[in-house]
Amino acid sequence: MARFVETSIVFPYKRSLGPVIGAFMTGLTDRRILGIRCGEQVLVPPTEWDPATGAELSAEALVEVGPAGTVESWTWVPTPSEQHPLDVPFAFALIRLDGASTPLLHAVDSGASDALAEGMRVAPRWRGARTGRIDDIVAFIPGEEPELQGDDAGAASEPVTMMDYDAAITYRNPVPAVLDRLREASRDQRILGQRCPVCARVYAGGRGYCPIDAVELGEEHDVDLPHTGTITNFTIVTPVQYPGQTETEPFARVFVLLDGTDVVLPYQPVVELAVSDVTVGKRVAAAWAPPNDDVDEGGTMGGAYGHLIGWIPTGEPDIDDPDLVNRIF
Amino acid sequence: MAPSTDIAIVGWAQTPMTRRTDLSETQLLLRVITDALEPLGLTRADVDFTCLGSCDYITGQAFSFVSNLDAIGAWPPKRDSHVEMDGAWAAYEAWLRLQEGDIDIAVVTGSGRSSTGDPSLIYPMEMDPFFLAPLGVDPVTFAALQARALIAAGITSERAMAEVAVRSRRDALDNPDAQVANDGDVDTLLAGDYVREPLRRHDLPPITDGAAAMVLATGDRARRLRERPAFITGFDHRTECHNPGYRDLTDSPSTRIAAQAAGLGTGPVEIAELQAAFTHEEALLRRALDLGDDAVVNRSGGALASNPIMATGLARMGYAANHVFAGGRRALAHSTSGPCLQQNLICILEGDA
Repeated sequence: MARFVETSIVFPYKRSLGPVIGAFMTGLTDRRILGIRCGEQVLVPPTEWDPATGAELSAEALVEVGPAGTVESWTWVPTPSEQHPLDVPFAFALIRLDGASTPLLHAVDSGASDALAEGMRVAPRWRGARTGRIDDIVAFIPGEEPELQGDDAGAASEPVTMMDYDAAITYRNPVPAVLDRLREASRDQRILGQRCPVCARVYAGGRGYCPIDAVELGEEHDVDLPHTGTITNFTIVTPVQYPGQTETEPFARVFVLLDGTDVVLPYQPVVELAVSDVTVGKRVAAAWAPPNDDVDEGGTMGGAYGHLIGWIPTGEPDIDDPDLVNRIF
Repeated sequence: MAPSTDIAIVGWAQTPMTRRTDLSETQLLLRVITDALEPLGLTRADVDFTCLGSCDYITGQAFSFVSNLDAIGAWPPKRDSHVEMDGAWAAYEAWLRLQEGDIDIAVVTGSGRSSTGDPSLIYPMEMDPFFLAPLGVDPVTFAALQARALIAAGITSERAMAEVAVRSRRDALDNPDAQVANDGDVDTLLAGDYVREPLRRHDLPPITDGAAAMVLATGDRARRLRERPAFITGFDHRTECHNPGYRDLTDSPSTRIAAQAAGLGTGPVEIAELQAAFTHEEALLRRALDLGDDAVVNRSGGALASNPIMATGLARMGYAANHVFAGGRRALAHSTSGPCLQQNLICILEGDA
């Protein structure tokens, strides 16, 4: 059985809303729900185009609907997820707001599933502090009268033009056995690669197969790689402070061609080598963390291989080879 | 659309269908592509074009298809493409590409490891970002809203849905590649709790890890590779509005139009493999396709037996092709994408080009 690791990815989206959806979201902050005229119909939520023909719809065609409406279809959610708008059992429903031709999909907080029926009347429960999102409506509730949850912070002072949507997903992935071997070997200051039995090419990085011959590689194909090499190419990264970026100062990532092989280790960190001193052709050697140190398990882009924490200058003269710069694979 | 060149499915393979595999998606593809090619006496060197169907959101890695390319033997370079769609759409692209007439053989795949994340948390992110994603509307919710609409319209019932579940998983007992196969009882199933009313556990597909690979070939090359290739005589796909609120959930016009365009109406099909992952979808698709009672639907067990997202539709094409390989005359395969059957693909396979 393989070892599994969990990683969480956060997607911090900022979305521009455009003239129609922006007006709808702005309306929500004022506790008003807008639809858009499209021929004989009033579409809710409004779109910038006619769903049947694709013809453009103008923000001038927006009209107020609801706030109360009628449940057309519904389903009961007995165990809400972390993404759902309520943390108690609730219904998702298609709600046709008064004056609308199409139903809006939203939550209904009815307490129990047997309180729901097709044709039941519902009205919005507004959030007190509204930012111009569909969940400014906490949920719909049975009856004709809208409710307010918390103190009313009032309508937005400026039109809403942007929307934040932060999503996060946790993934659980198997760790290929070769990666565990590679990390384990790095404790003993060894760099493992794998040699393809068909083409004899050597791969580093724990790929586990030869992409040229499409054959899987096992433990019997492991080989030790040299600990010295030459920088073939590099980039200096000026960190942008996106979520998750821990670097604050410019740093180098280098490509290292290992001596006597065709193996290029991409995107490696450097140790005791100033950004201004990084050059193509510089001779470097593996730098290791002490065997008992905990090392970053990430091992993804930028992470070295287990206890291999980067590359340190050997002090030898640079290699002068104009073709070297092309060796990034 | 009628093809300008005879193009056929000549073989396909699928990985074991499991709730959770310890193989990476690339490893799944390494094996299944070999399994599809070897029985035909082909190697990767014979392949002129590949198109891979997969989904970065499921994999949890941007550009995950780039590492999947390692499975096709990417050197020397091949003509390659990718669709962020079920492998059935990859087959559609290969079918278009083969019509240019300059190449003979294409390999298409569909692959997905749904166990990687929680589908009910991943799928909302793929929905409309303004009105649906912020509410976390998940696939089972969409399906339940459509099921209730179909029940209200008299198109199906909770009992009829349970009957679909029992029949499909009973049929799956004959399918060694099925993940869920059993001999159930309708009344017992109807006594179960709702997952999302009116859907019970049996109305839902299993969560499946798996991949499929298919080999397509043109004209004489196809006939040399297999005695009875499954010729694609019609292939079309159509889409509807994304937001289910804008649609009549009791109808599937995109399915109907795709079937008309694929020439379904020119004669009966003996079997139909429908990507009806939820039980109620079968009744809607049967209506939209106007399938006669003589058409055998989802003899494989369908998506209710195994549902490898991104490969489920391609597997439908594979099972339909099996029918023709074994002497059948005409078969239909269907695939779908998006909430409440938003987008639908129809492929007609025949023994004679």
